[in-house]
Amino acid sequence: MEQRVTVAIIEDHPVVTEGVASWIRSDPGQRVRLVQTARDLTGLSAGARPSADVVILDLELSGELVTTQIPVLVAGGYRVVAFSGHSDPAIVMETLDNGAHAYVSKEEGRDHLVEAVLAAAADRPYVTRSQARAMLADQRPSRPTLSEQERQALLLWFQGMSKASVGRRMSISENTVRQYISRARAKYAATGRTAPSKDALLARAIEDGVIKPGEIMPYTSFARAGAGSSGLGALDP
Amino acid sequence: MTAVQPTAMMSGRYQRAFTIAVVFLVAGWHLAGAGGQLLQNRPAYSSFAFQTAMWLVMALAIAAGSILVLRGAPGWQPAWAVAIIALAASTAAAAASPAGQMLAVNWAWGSAGWTGVLVLLHRRFAELASYLAAVALGILGVQLHDGLHRTDLAGFLAVLAWSTIAQVAVAVGVRALDAAADESASAVRIEQAAREREATAEIIRVARHARWLALQESAVPLVAELAAGTANPGDAQVRIRCAVQAARLRRLLAEGDEVPGSLVHELHASADMAERRGLAVEIETAGALPQMPGPARRLITDAAIAILTAARSQARITLTAVAAGVAVSFVADTGTVVGLPAASEGVWIEQQQDGDMLWAEARWNNG
Repeated sequence: MEQRVTVAIIEDHPVVTEGVASWIRSDPGQRVRLVQTARDLTGLSAGARPSADVVILDLELSGELVTTQIPVLVAGGYRVVAFSGHSDPAIVMETLDNGAHAYVSKEEGRDHLVEAVLAAAADRPYVTRSQARAMLADQRPSRPTLSEQERQALLLWFQGMSKASVGRRMSISENTVRQYISRARAKYAATGRTAPSKDALLARAIEDGVIKPGEIMPYTSFARAGAGSSGLGALDP
Repeated sequence: MTAVQPTAMMSGRYQRAFTIAVVFLVAGWHLAGAGGQLLQNRPAYSSFAFQTAMWLVMALAIAAGSILVLRGAPGWQPAWAVAIIALAASTAAAAASPAGQMLAVNWAWGSAGWTGVLVLLHRRFAELASYLAAVALGILGVQLHDGLHRTDLAGFLAVLAWSTIAQVAVAVGVRALDAAADESASAVRIEQAAREREATAEIIRVARHARWLALQESAVPLVAELAAGTANPGDAQVRIRCAVQAARLRRLLAEGDEVPGSLVHELHASADMAERRGLAVEIETAGALPQMPGPARRLITDAAIAILTAARSQARITLTAVAAGVAVSFVADTGTVVGLPAASEGVWIEQQQDGDMLWAEARWNNG
């Protein structure tokens, strides 16, 4: 029998905590078990062992943004799913860069929060539309290079199509759509600051065949090109 | 666009005036200063024809350099090509001068330095400094080759100080004026942006107030009915009313875009009308959207109205900045394809029906 995923909710508005708890309860498969709720982060960072597999973290607690606290939670062994009313792409990107597994906006909660928690527990990427939006809007010099197909799949998903419709539009299977979107997300896990959660996402993506190790670091291609030209292969006719 | 033009023009006008002044200075020096010296010392040169040829090479370099800088800031390759021709002409003219009197009859050093000032003026200061040093080293090299005496060295240093200080002073002066022009341009830009933000904030405030008043008429009675138990949340009609009111509340709380008269605002206006008849509409943007001309915007809002009118209960509109312009998409439960405007004004519209859902995308290409 499979272990249920345990989750903690960090949220300063009790009514929201109650709403999230009801979504967890109404999951037909009962795949997630709520083990802790808290109104701030003090209860979580103290323990020696993480008290839950996944933390659902409201990004604004008592009027303050807590994105900078994500690395602390990640270092403590938690997987973080950010759940926030702040859908500003810059905040979404900062959240992911700090090591959160996924970002779910408050509008997307009902449809996506439980799924995002389950994906995070398995270290698999979960890309909501608001997260796709932030990736499409990303203009930072450090952003990863997305392929034309990855960008198109993200765009159609952000626009509101179901993944099956995206597949029909792009003449590919729904599974390939998921693959493109997950690969784009994995590329983000390979950039910016380092975090154990990002390494775990990447390792899982490689294991699942979503991305090849060679696709992760576009900047190593220079070194590889150098090594290639000195090898015998380059001299073959 | 209109905000940037006057400031860019102002800064550009200053820079052009400085550049023209330097062109006259350098050309004037070469004709009167260097040319005068060349004629005056005519008997002293071993080959006057060679000196004249070098003077003409230098004149051509100055002419080419002037054309380059008047056309706009030259890249490092053409700028340095001109500078190196001037350096070579200067060193060759010095090398062909009689050994003992080289400094006394040298007309080329000053012109070579001024040519460098001309073409390297708007580049990094270190480039000009290294160029002037290279010109001076060329002259010193010729002197060393001729056999250097203490008096020669003193003369070299005197000429070096005299010519280089003037050249550096001009370069520093122009740089300071450049910086001042940039500063005033950016001050104007900041002021204009602040004015625009203010105007925008006022437009948004008025629109929010109007929506807030509208909510008093629509959301408040619904909440009252729910509280009183006269509206049943299990009823599909009540749920749709709730969804619509929630969407309007969300927009009121979250509206954050700051571009007046933009396509986003026009789409919001179309969505407001659709919401009044019970449609739940989401509008989202991704990336910094460029301004779109009026006719293209009208075409897209026409498409929006056609789709929103055909939609049964929900619609999502997104605006995404893409490589060549903007992609505006609509996903709505229209049930069928919708008659949309034909492509024109740089806007391309595509649609695809998938079950109950319609996806349509209008792409506007910038230029």
